[in-house]
Amino acid sequence: MPWDTNDPSKNVFVNCPFDPEYVPLLRPLLFTIIYLGYNPRIASERSDSGEARIHKICELIKQSQISIHDLSRLRSSRKDEFFRLNMPFELGIDIGCRMGGENEVPQRKCLILAKERYSYKRALSDLSGSDIKAHNNEPEEIVREVRNWFVENENVHADSGTKIWESFNEFMAEFYQTRKQEGFKDRDLEIMPIPEFIQFVKDWLSPRGTPVV
Amino acid sequence: MPSSAKRVHIISRDNGWAVKKEGASRASRIYENKETAIENAKRLQRTGHDVVVHKKDGSIQKWEKSKK
Repeated sequence: MPWDTNDPSKNVFVNCPFDPEYVPLLRPLLFTIIYLGYNPRIASERSDSGEARIHKICELIKQSQISIHDLSRLRSSRKDEFFRLNMPFELGIDIGCRMGGENEVPQRKCLILAKERYSYKRALSDLSGSDIKAHNNEPEEIVREVRNWFVENENVHADSGTKIWESFNEFMAEFYQTRKQEGFKDRDLEIMPIPEFIQFVKDWLSPRGTPVV
Repeated sequence: MPSSAKRVHIISRDNGWAVKKEGASRASRIYENKETAIENAKRLQRTGHDVVVHKKDGSIQKWEKSKK
């Protein structure tokens, strides 16, 4: 069954910003993961206020054989803005699990994304020598990089990055039309909870058959 | 306003803007300029296609109904 959250080998822990500025990259990223038959797991999928966020994240990492970490927002963009430390912190937890910590999932794999291929080294030189994929803040490019990584590391037989990107655009039209007919305004679509968006992608892809199951 | 007509999409590509009929296996043509792509896609409005213009991130910029 595709998108089975009980199958760790199909779970992908997604560690990235969830602010409005990142939405143009987040939506195609999530779409590509689901298109390939995998299940994105994000910290906001459960919003139990009584549960500490760090426990939730550790739980998701343990349940996911694959993780994607986007470090493209490491750098502050304005004077006096704080660095974004959540992403490298969660990457550290993930690497700790991979190196023999408490780990319920064997053979963990991770994809690290950055805006540019080498700029992250200035902030995180410990990653020197790691294979980092760069998306240049381009939505089409993040589709291609994520698709290529799954082909290389998961041995999936996937449609081309171009085809997935075009499919994402067709999906967005359907998403827009359906939601508008249901009374959603542009603002509702912009700030839609991510789990709701993920479910909409799955509902759209299901009758079309996911390319990889 | 969206409708249930056939659709032709204007989609950002790394080398320009693609005009692609929904369901087609590939884009019919890539244009350097987005406005040129839109003008060419609009010819399909008379054959029953809505023209769906996407932003660079895939979201919807404009939706023009078919004129059939």
